[in-house]
Amino acid sequence: MDTSTKTEEIDFAIDESLILVQDRAKTREEIIKKLGGLLQTKGFVKDSYIQAVLERERTYPTGLQAKVAGVAVPHTDTDHVNHPAIAIATLANPITFHVMGSPEDQVPVEIVIMLAVHDAKLVIPILRKVIFILENDQALLKMKNANSKTAIKQAMLDHIQELKEKEKKK
Amino acid sequence: MYKVRIVVVCGSGVAMAMHAAYKLREHLEKEKLYVHIDGSGNNELASRIDNYDMIVSNAQVTVKTDKPIFNAIPLITGMGEKELVDQIIQKVKEIQTAKNSN
Repeated sequence: MDTSTKTEEIDFAIDESLILVQDRAKTREEIIKKLGGLLQTKGFVKDSYIQAVLERERTYPTGLQAKVAGVAVPHTDTDHVNHPAIAIATLANPITFHVMGSPEDQVPVEIVIMLAVHDAKLVIPILRKVIFILENDQALLKMKNANSKTAIKQAMLDHIQELKEKEKKK
Repeated sequence: MYKVRIVVVCGSGVAMAMHAAYKLREHLEKEKLYVHIDGSGNNELASRIDNYDMIVSNAQVTVKTDKPIFNAIPLITGMGEKELVDQIIQKVKEIQTAKNSN
């Protein structure tokens, strides 16, 4: 696994090298391969990961309409992952994904957050942090409008920080 | 008081189901409702469905059932979440009333 770049570690790695800003990908397959490729190059996922994500997306689509943007959260089983990480892409042009739970419906997606979790016990805490961003209009807008990888990464980190503070207050 | 049993189902794997179940639990606890909530993958649902009174799913439920089914997506995106939770609360109370009068 590539440990030469400094990655923020919360429960998972999040790093500029795993982020694409205003990417020009035109199809779901293209963006999934691009993001999966970043995760694979850095050793976070196995060679089987990309194919597994593509297949899963076909039967169990991950498109979701949040209030301020269409978001997709492609992922697959822990078998294909070495170390937990997320890869994020914002898209220059929305790409159509099918909707989670309603495969006949479509949603134009502008933000793709690809998840890689290696340990079944960690799926829930990691996924939760990420999925909660769908309700964080500010964070999604920051990502949508970001023109740098750092800004996108920061939006995610800020969101997670806010979440931690909210949970503490309970 | 009858404990209404709810299963939250995700298309594949339990991850999303657990997140949605967590959120639903929070809502229903605020209402002080007497419920039991489990998360499940779609594949296991067929063998478990008899144990539950209602289903909240983010995928097409392929098991044949007369039990009430709700869409879990609002619990994940937050859009329409309040309306969904209100509907679930209604149904929970209905089921409890029906069971208590037996």
